[in-house]
Amino acid sequence: MSQSLRPYLSCVRSTLTAALSLSNFASQASERHNVPEIEAATSPELLLNPLVVSRNQDERVLVEPSVNSVRVSIRIKQADEIEGILVHKFMRFLSQRAEAFFVLRRKAVAGYDISFLITNFHTEEMLKHKLVDFIIQFMEEVDKEISEMKLFLNARARFVAESFLTPFD
Amino acid sequence: MANINWRTINIDALDPESSYNFDLSTLTPAVLPVSTQDVQTLSGQIRQLLRGGNAEGALQGALENAPYGADEQGKAAHFSAVTECLNQIRQAEMTPLLQRLYKTEAGSELCDTLMKYLYKGMSQGANTPSNHASAKNVTPQATGFSQAGGRSFGGGEGGGQAMSVFLSWHEKLVEMVGPGSIVRVMSDRRTV
Repeated sequence: MSQSLRPYLSCVRSTLTAALSLSNFASQASERHNVPEIEAATSPELLLNPLVVSRNQDERVLVEPSVNSVRVSIRIKQADEIEGILVHKFMRFLSQRAEAFFVLRRKAVAGYDISFLITNFHTEEMLKHKLVDFIIQFMEEVDKEISEMKLFLNARARFVAESFLTPFD
Repeated sequence: MANINWRTINIDALDPESSYNFDLSTLTPAVLPVSTQDVQTLSGQIRQLLRGGNAEGALQGALENAPYGADEQGKAAHFSAVTECLNQIRQAEMTPLLQRLYKTEAGSELCDTLMKYLYKGMSQGANTPSNHASAKNVTPQATGFSQAGGRSFGGGEGGGQAMSVFLSWHEKLVEMVGPGSIVRVMSDRRTV
């Protein structure tokens, strides 16, 4: 693991561990409703200070805690346009299958590539440290995946260009 | 009236009794308003201590007198003074310094304040635009094709150096005070 990646991930880990102390909280605005307060934003006293953890300008995590839900948004490193396209396509692919991931949000927060929404119901039925592990592992894997895809793309493009240009040789 | 789409009106905002209009100032502990002038004098004193080689005293003084009641400008001035202190202190000195800081009278509060400044520092990078990244890695070639540069894993560019200072401070601080300090940063309405 890269030297500057380790403190970044450990910082995200401790921030998430602290943020994921959630309790059941029914909506104050409408009776018999129970909504994630960070999304509804109906009562300002239930929202806590949002925290940002960043490794550099292009890689950061936004953690928005509230009394019964936490919204975690990740910005993935995009060094050039190809990576921008790959990240966009890949995150779109995942977000469209959000219900298979339980904690994934269908739409990312503005300025970030992917968002997770963890409610108190998730922390009740899943282990908290495993949820944190999942997000950390996601962040590790997604970087690897994107650079791998970029390598494949370049190799494929080279092969296609070679075979296309062979007749003109 | 016809040009207002009444479906988009937030009726909760019009009801003084609704939770939407909860008065947040009742949750905020009373803080004395501090003028920007005072903050600037204070950061001048901190810088003087720093130049004298007393980085620990400078940091402690800066954390003890965090200007909760100042406006945005004053807070920014104090934040830059704190950042200078943090940058001045070497990696090896962090843990013993934090331990000494923690053992003082109001050590736990000082550590919470430091944590607030660390998170503020990390959120600074998010505000600056970063769309220059797409252009700088493409090097035009004489052949007319452009060569896309490789992925750089160093992270040295784009404020990465400043962030790594905050990240290593954060790591050392959490090791000592635990996640409770982060919870207090999230729930404290007094922001730095």
